[in-house]
Amino acid sequence: MARLGSPAALEKLRKKILSQRDPNRLCVTICSGTGCQALGSEEVADAFVREIKHKGLENKVDFRRTGCHGFCERGPLVVIFPQQICYLGVNAQDVSEIVSQTLIENKLVERLLYRDVETGQHMAHEDEIPFYRNQKRIIFGNNRLIDPKEIDDYIALGGYSALAKSLFEMTPEQVLSEIKEANLRGRGGGGFPAGIKWETTRNAQGEPKYVIVNADEGDPGAYMDRSLLEGNPHSVLEGLIIGAYVIGSTQGFVYVRQEYPLAVQNITMAIEQAREHGLLGKNILGLGFDFDVEIHCGAGAFVSGESSALMTAIEGRVGEPRPKYIRTAVSGIEEKPTNLNNVETWANVPLIINNGADWYKSIGTEGSKGTKIFSLVGKVSNTGLVEVPMGMTLREVIYDIGGGVPKGKKFKAVQTGGPSGGCIPESFLDLPVDFDELAEVGSMMGSGGMIVMDEDTCMVDIARYFTDFLCQESCGKCVPCREGLRQMLKILNNICSGVGKEGDIELLEELSEVMRDAALCALGTTAPNPVLSTIKYFRDEYEAHIKEKRCPAGVCRELITYYILPDKCQACLICARECPVGAITGGKGFVHVIDQEKCTKCGTCFEVCPSRFDAVVKLSGESLPPPVPGGTKVARRR
Amino acid sequence: MRRERSKPKFVGMRLSEEQNRVLSQLQENSSRSKSEILLRGLELLSEYYSLGLDQLPLNLELRSLESEAIRHAEALRQIRKKEEAIAQMVQELGEVDKIIDKYQGRKSALIQILLDIQAQNHWLPKSALMWVAERLGVPWSQIYHIATFYKAFSLIPRGRHTVQVCSGTACQVRGAPRLLEKVVDILNIKPGETDKDQRFTLNTVNCLGCCALGPVMVVDGSYYGNPSTEQIKQTVARCE
Repeated sequence: MARLGSPAALEKLRKKILSQRDPNRLCVTICSGTGCQALGSEEVADAFVREIKHKGLENKVDFRRTGCHGFCERGPLVVIFPQQICYLGVNAQDVSEIVSQTLIENKLVERLLYRDVETGQHMAHEDEIPFYRNQKRIIFGNNRLIDPKEIDDYIALGGYSALAKSLFEMTPEQVLSEIKEANLRGRGGGGFPAGIKWETTRNAQGEPKYVIVNADEGDPGAYMDRSLLEGNPHSVLEGLIIGAYVIGSTQGFVYVRQEYPLAVQNITMAIEQAREHGLLGKNILGLGFDFDVEIHCGAGAFVSGESSALMTAIEGRVGEPRPKYIRTAVSGIEEKPTNLNNVETWANVPLIINNGADWYKSIGTEGSKGTKIFSLVGKVSNTGLVEVPMGMTLREVIYDIGGGVPKGKKFKAVQTGGPSGGCIPESFLDLPVDFDELAEVGSMMGSGGMIVMDEDTCMVDIARYFTDFLCQESCGKCVPCREGLRQMLKILNNICSGVGKEGDIELLEELSEVMRDAALCALGTTAPNPVLSTIKYFRDEYEAHIKEKRCPAGVCRELITYYILPDKCQACLICARECPVGAITGGKGFVHVIDQEKCTKCGTCFEVCPSRFDAVVKLSGESLPPPVPGGTKVARRR
Repeated sequence: MRRERSKPKFVGMRLSEEQNRVLSQLQENSSRSKSEILLRGLELLSEYYSLGLDQLPLNLELRSLESEAIRHAEALRQIRKKEEAIAQMVQELGEVDKIIDKYQGRKSALIQILLDIQAQNHWLPKSALMWVAERLGVPWSQIYHIATFYKAFSLIPRGRHTVQVCSGTACQVRGAPRLLEKVVDILNIKPGETDKDQRFTLNTVNCLGCCALGPVMVVDGSYYGNPSTEQIKQTVARCE
C-alpha cells in the first residue's frame, strides 16, 4: 500500500473502496468481541465459512468478523446485511439452517430472533429490539459494521476524514476551540474538560510533548474501553492523532492492559496499517506533521491506571503515583508535558470535528455533553454495553434497555464508578445520569461500570468486597491509604462475621474522612466512597449486622444458618448426596436434617433443592427451630 | 599474594602404576579420554561376566578397574550435565537477548521486556532477570521491585494449566465466591498457588470483561460461565 500523500488521495481511496462494495450484497457479520468469543463465536464463524463454501455461495455472500455489538447477554450475535436481520445466541449447529433459509431462500429463522418478553412478538432487526432501540450509539454503533482488522472498512465509513479536515482545513487553535466549545469531558472518571487539558499541555514549556491513550481499564465490571479498542481501534487512533496535532506532540502511547490480548492485537494491527497508509509516521497525509505511536502493556496493577502512575510505568519504573503538585499535563513522562485521555474520550474527537461542536452540544445535559458508554452488568436481564445520551435516567437504562432485574427479584441498588464510586439506592432511580448528578449523590461516573444489585446482595458485603479489592491494589506509598484501608477492611470483616461493635459505623466514617483528605492519589481519596455511600443509604443493613447479628440479604456466612423445612422436604436425597461434608442425614422417605455442627454453610443444599420443593431455607438472626426427631416420615404432597 | 595451586582433585580409587601405564598407552594409541577407555573396559567386563569368565585372578584385577571406571563415568556424567545446563542457559538467554533487542535495549521498555519473558516461560527465571539487569544496566533491586509489584509476574514456575476465576464486581454479585470455593475444593490449591506436580496454577482476576457469562472460570483461555461442580471436575480432568 502506497502512503497517502494528501487528503485528496484519501478521498480517492475511499471512493475506490466504496465502488468495490455493493451495499445490496449479502453479508454475514458475526460479533468477535471477547464476550461473544467466550460464548463460542469463533466456532460459529468457522462453520459459516465452511457452509458458505459448501453451498457454493462464495461469490454471492461476504463474511465479516466485527467488533463487539454490545448485547453480550445473547451472544454469539449474527447480523445479516443488507436486511439487517439479527440472530441471537447462534450455535454452530444453527449455521446450516441460517445459510439455507435466510441466505438462499430469504426466510427468517424465527427461533433465533429476539422475542419480546411482554408481547411474545419476534423482532428481526436490531433497531426494533428494546435493548438497541433505546440507545444512541454514535461512538459504539460502527463496531458492528467494521472488521477491526481492516482499515478499509473504517475508511469506507468516512474514517480519517476528521483527521484530514483538521490538518488540511483547520489550524490547531481552531480544532482546540471546537473541542472546548463542545465541552468534551474526560470519560475516564474525573470528567475534566479535555479541551482545557489539551491547552495546558500545548502551552506548557518543554519538548517533546507526549499524548497517551489510557486503556488500563482496571475497574472490575467495566469493559467498554476494551470493546472500543477491540472493535474500532482506528477511531481511537484518529482522535489521538488529532489531539497530537493540536498539542504539538510527535510521540504518543497506548497504554493497554495485558489482560486484554485481543485489544492489544487489534490496536497493534491498526497502528501498522495506519503507518502503511501514511496516516502515522513522518509527514502525515503530506501535510508536514510527524507523529508516531507506541504500545505499552500494563502488567496488572489497578493503581497504574492513575495518570502519574501510568506515566512512571511508561518510563519503565514501577507504576506508583506521585504527588501532583504539578499536573502531569505540565510535567509527565520524563518531566515533559504529557496529555492523557481515556479511550472513549479520544474516540469522541473525530465525531466532534466531523459534525461540529453545535451538533455535539445538542446531545446530553447542561454540564455533560454527548453520550456515554456504560457496561450494564450484574443482576440485570440484558447484560451488555449500552451507549446512551448523558442525562438519561437510571431507570431508563436499567429497565428499558437492561430489561430490569431477572427472576422477579427486587432491585436494591446500582453501583457506578467502580471501586471509587458508590451505590445508588432505588429512591434515586429517576436520577439523570451525568457527571455532576452522580457526584451529588455520593457516587461518580467513573469509567462507566454500572453494576445492578438485587435483594440477594448484601450491601455490607459489597463495601467489604471493594475495600478488600482496594486494599490489595493500594501501592502502599502513602500511609492513609495503606493503613486506612487495612483498618476499614478489618472492621468490615468483623461486621460481616457477626462480631461488629456499636460505634464501628462511626469509626468507619472517621477513617473515611481522613483518607479522603490525606491520601496521595485518587485511589486513596475515593476509596471510602463504597463504604460511605452504603452507610448513607443502607445504614439499616449495617445496624442489622451489628446489633441483631443478622444479614438481611442472607449472604454473610457467619450470620446465616441453612435449615430444611420438615413440612416441605420430600426426602429426594439430592441435598444429602451433594453435601460436600456429609452433614445431611435422613434416608429415603425420612425428613432430611442438617447437622449444624458439621455444616460449612457452603450453600450447596440451597442450590440443589428442586424449586418445586423449595425446602431448604436460609435463616438469619432468628433462632433455629428445634430439629425434628430423626426418622420422621415426610409429609407427602398430593 | 601467591595463590597456592590447588591439588588436582582425586576422583575414585587410585590405579596401580602398572595399570596407569597401560591406560596412558591406551590413551595415546586410541586418542581417547581416560574415562572413555575405562567405560569401554566396563563394557568388556560385563561381556566377560556374561561369558562366565569371572575367575578369581582376573576378577580381582578387573574389579578395581571396574570401580575406577564407574567413578570416571559418574564424573563424566556430571560434566555433561553441567555442559547441558550451560548450553540450555545460553539458549534461554539467547531468547532473552532477542526480546531485549526487540525493544532496542531501552531502559524504559523494562516492563515490556519482563512481560515478554513471562509470556515465554510462564515465569521469570533468575538467570533471565540477571541477564536483563546486566544488559539494560538497571539495578537488580529495580527489577525485583517491578517483578513483585505487578500481578502478571511470577518468580516461581507456574503450572502447565492456568485456571482463573473472575472476581470482578459483576461476577461477585452473581456468585463468584461460591464458584471459587468449588474450584479450590476440586484443585486443592488456594488462589495464587501451584500444585505439587505443577499441573495447575489457580488465580483470581479482577475482571475479564465477559460479565454476561458471570461468574466466569477460565481454563487455559477457554471460558466457562457459571460451571457446575460436575463441569469443573470434567474440565479439570481433561487437563494433563
